[in-house]
Amino acid sequence: MAQKPALTARLFSVDQYADDEALAAALAGHGLGLTPFEARRVAELLGRNPTFTELHLFNAEWSEHCSYKSSKPTLKEFLPVTGPTVIQGPEEDAGILLLGDTGDGDRWGIVIAHESHNHPSQVLPTEGAATGIGGIVRDVDCMGADVIGVADPLRFGDPNGANRDRTRWIVGGVVDGIWQYGNALGVPNLGGDIVFDPCYDDNCLVNVVALGLVRESRIIHSRVPEEGRTEPYDLILVGKPTDDSGFGGAAFSSVVLDDDADEFNRGAVQVPDPFLKNVLLLHKANEAVRNAAFEAGVPVGMKDLGAAGIACCSSEICSSGGFGALIDLDRVPVALADMQAEVIACAETQERYIWAVPRTFSDTVLRIYNEDWSLPDIYEGARAAVIGEATVELRYTLLHHGEIVCDANIMDVTEGILYERAEEPRGWDEAEPELTFPANLGDVLLRLLASPNLASREPIYRFYDTEVQGAAVLRSGEADAGVIAPVPGTKFGVALSVDGNPRYGRISPYAGGATAVAEAIRNVSAVGATAVGMTDCLNFGNPEVPTAFWEFRDSVRGLSDAARSIEIKGQPGCPTPFVSGNVSLYNMSAAGNAIAPSPIVACIGVMDDYSRAVTVQLKAAGSALLLIGARRDELGGSDYYQVELDCHGAHVPSVDGAREMAQNEAVIDAISAGLVRASHDISGGGLLVSLAEMAMGGWCHGTLGASLDVSAVPFAGEPVPADRERVAKLFGETSGFVLEVDPANVAAVQALCAEKGAVCALVGQVTEAPTLTVTDGAAVLAQVAMSELVETWRGGLTAALA
Amino acid sequence: MAQACCGPSVAVIQFPGGNCETETARALAAAGCQPEIFRWNRRPSELDAFEAMVIGGGFSYQDRVRAGVIAAHEPIGARLVELAHAGKPILGICNGAQILVEMGLVPGLSPDAVEMALAPNKMMRDGHVVRRDYYCIWTHLKLAAAPERCAWTRVFGPGAVIAMPLAHGEGRFTASDPGLFDTLAANDQIVWQYCDERGTVDDQFPITPNGSARAIAGLCNPAGNVLALMPHPERASWLRQVPQDLPGRYGAERRAAAGDFEALEGAGPSRGLFGSVVEEVRS
Repeated sequence: MAQKPALTARLFSVDQYADDEALAAALAGHGLGLTPFEARRVAELLGRNPTFTELHLFNAEWSEHCSYKSSKPTLKEFLPVTGPTVIQGPEEDAGILLLGDTGDGDRWGIVIAHESHNHPSQVLPTEGAATGIGGIVRDVDCMGADVIGVADPLRFGDPNGANRDRTRWIVGGVVDGIWQYGNALGVPNLGGDIVFDPCYDDNCLVNVVALGLVRESRIIHSRVPEEGRTEPYDLILVGKPTDDSGFGGAAFSSVVLDDDADEFNRGAVQVPDPFLKNVLLLHKANEAVRNAAFEAGVPVGMKDLGAAGIACCSSEICSSGGFGALIDLDRVPVALADMQAEVIACAETQERYIWAVPRTFSDTVLRIYNEDWSLPDIYEGARAAVIGEATVELRYTLLHHGEIVCDANIMDVTEGILYERAEEPRGWDEAEPELTFPANLGDVLLRLLASPNLASREPIYRFYDTEVQGAAVLRSGEADAGVIAPVPGTKFGVALSVDGNPRYGRISPYAGGATAVAEAIRNVSAVGATAVGMTDCLNFGNPEVPTAFWEFRDSVRGLSDAARSIEIKGQPGCPTPFVSGNVSLYNMSAAGNAIAPSPIVACIGVMDDYSRAVTVQLKAAGSALLLIGARRDELGGSDYYQVELDCHGAHVPSVDGAREMAQNEAVIDAISAGLVRASHDISGGGLLVSLAEMAMGGWCHGTLGASLDVSAVPFAGEPVPADRERVAKLFGETSGFVLEVDPANVAAVQALCAEKGAVCALVGQVTEAPTLTVTDGAAVLAQVAMSELVETWRGGLTAALA
Repeated sequence: MAQACCGPSVAVIQFPGGNCETETARALAAAGCQPEIFRWNRRPSELDAFEAMVIGGGFSYQDRVRAGVIAAHEPIGARLVELAHAGKPILGICNGAQILVEMGLVPGLSPDAVEMALAPNKMMRDGHVVRRDYYCIWTHLKLAAAPERCAWTRVFGPGAVIAMPLAHGEGRFTASDPGLFDTLAANDQIVWQYCDERGTVDDQFPITPNGSARAIAGLCNPAGNVLALMPHPERASWLRQVPQDLPGRYGAERRAAAGDFEALEGAGPSRGLFGSVVEEVRS
């Protein structure tokens, strides 16, 4: 550039505001979430008043969503992130876990990313949920991976509570958004979970997980390669033409939702487009560029555009490689005339990526997108365009109409900001209720199976395409985890589960974290997979409120302790690592209702032989039913308490790492040895609900019945009154499994359990007669026809939402 | 895969928004074909070199206007119509089936006219609508036409019952003239019908999962070389793809194969559709 352009005259005069109140009002008037302190800090870093573009850029970069300014120190303090199964930890958009050797000197990696799209889904459910998927698949795609699955953990308000109409609208809209985007894109749904709780009445949670498959040697990083020091690197923007959608989205994710601002908030939700994404992502244009770069031996970087659009993405892809950037916003393909510089720079238009490629390769990239894949012909305004270059000088410079609209030290832009938040513990007042054993056990079971949190999810997951890509092994409903065989012609299986129980978290944030880890690992174990790593999405309230920040900290302690104490099978001393994650704070309504602590964990399990994966459905009359794991007086937060007594209690299920490992490993070994016909973990509803689900089968294809003898169920811990013990045995949610085993193999499974130190007891049989029978020794406690259970369980969710 | 060297060359048409090309090509190869993914904006005349064509599933052109209609009127669409009239075997799966209907190739009674539609799902039971919209489920299909009636069914036995999943929002074969279906039945153009695992055809939900007239899952043109099929055979081409708990023969075969990798990587219930075109081209 011959002559350096001049700085724009459009500045925000931070220095003209003497008091914070006036400055805060002026910032808010421009739709900025920056605090007066932060705005003054921006001016200080720049050494002058900021331009509007700079202000919006820092506004996004310093939002909670982008900077993790409240949460980062806590995450660093506690969570294990390394280990032998980690190919890449949480330093980029997605983590990568080891699947196994490719057989030709390379390794297969499973890419995993986990995000939240809570606030957008609350105000515009369909668009919010859809862009949640759109964003998370970009995170996986830009690592150079094929996207092979998605899953959605969802948390909604009480479908029959004070906000029932809105809750139902949100449920329907979110499910529509998930299927409309995911199915059209062509990525299978691998599962997810749904919990209803009144704490989400004003603030639903829409988390989304995506998986990818990549060869280790073909991983693409989100940074300008080192080669940029010796040859010019262009920055190429590809995808949808930039419009003004999602402008302010990152800041919107980081505020308390206020009903009165709904109209304004809707403008901060992005507009999804699975069609354009399909052409870019699904074995199409992006893959063509990756292959061309690989064949030419050209090192490239790629990053998706998310929060704060071009500004965030271009500054981060350059700074993380140790470069600056010079971008001309006039070269950005736009959908609207006369857009202001800060809107072009910071809008969150979906379906866009930035490539960093050597200038000698730029024409190839442009040809692949604009000619081979005809982007401009199939979508108005879509194309790839060079918008700038990486620079050795560590400045971040944006030009617009011949003026400089941003000129900052790039490290200042991307380094973020940190806050030390105060924490203050809160207690839990509720005690354990008095218990009498229910007079009609069968009715209790039916009420549990009909309850919104336990009823069959079939009415929802039938909207999701579980079969596209042709790799499904176990689908939603069939088992405790989704399983795919992602590498054609090989035995590799990949299992995915997601978990998190807000009722445990409400009693004890620590237990909420610990049980989420334990259950996610248990669920992949239940199909026969070995857990190799996790992600977390930490959904909490306002971090500026000390008790809410304590809840966050205590949950992370729980996550960490459980992850460290449940070591990877076959890797002594190695915690189950967290390789990626997301923090979503400010989940509360303007009325001040914070959500219950809601850490949600996704766990990846690996199988050497997918053919051994088992479903929950009982398979043969005469089989033995083995309980793995003694029952305990741990009914706190249980569905039994919620449905039957409308209370929480206090004794949440404990997480003992050694016990978890013994149980999980015994189950995995038994399944791998082909000794198990069906397997189900014990969670919501306890032992009796798990057994009922096995007899029905996830898709209600079961034709058999089962019997359970309570007197044969082992009980551990302090002695409790007889009624409490029987209730805890049947409905307590203490960790464990039920296995269906050929009678001839019972001794072998018992020996495996003994070897690992897991409690194993023969508690019942699979019966030809289609009834579920519960006895206590000779006394019959309940006898229910399977047809009645099926009708109740299958219809429960539809009835709850009717 | 032993015969891959001499199997028919099959173009798997890739429209923008398509999402099943990769696994469809893989399933064709497993059945002994030589597949090639063919991008929609290539020169249409390049299609002439192929012995058969498959239009796979997805959401071509975002289902703009209605599913399949834009793709049907692309230049490549016109070429496909010519090749269909020339007798080349063409299979449309899901969105591909919608495209064939929009091209007027299926049912193809009056030349180049669109005679029917694949309407939005409307799940019916006893006169009530029990559900609408997109639906993904495994289903059984019964071969309703004679195996030699259609290029894509030759290897099956008469009345064969197979299984495959479907996943679509618009799969309900419908026509403004209900008499059309009598003609199609008389012409033996109703190739596949939804049924239970024992082969009992039923046009009510859940056996017919989308409200399709006469429980139709697949229809061919009068010449039998073109088949429009809503469920996905490429997702049931290997035994490993079959759900363990699927009632009937195929679920039992899948369960029996636990731990038997070779068996699981062997043929699934629907590979025969692709295998049929190998026979068809060879004959």
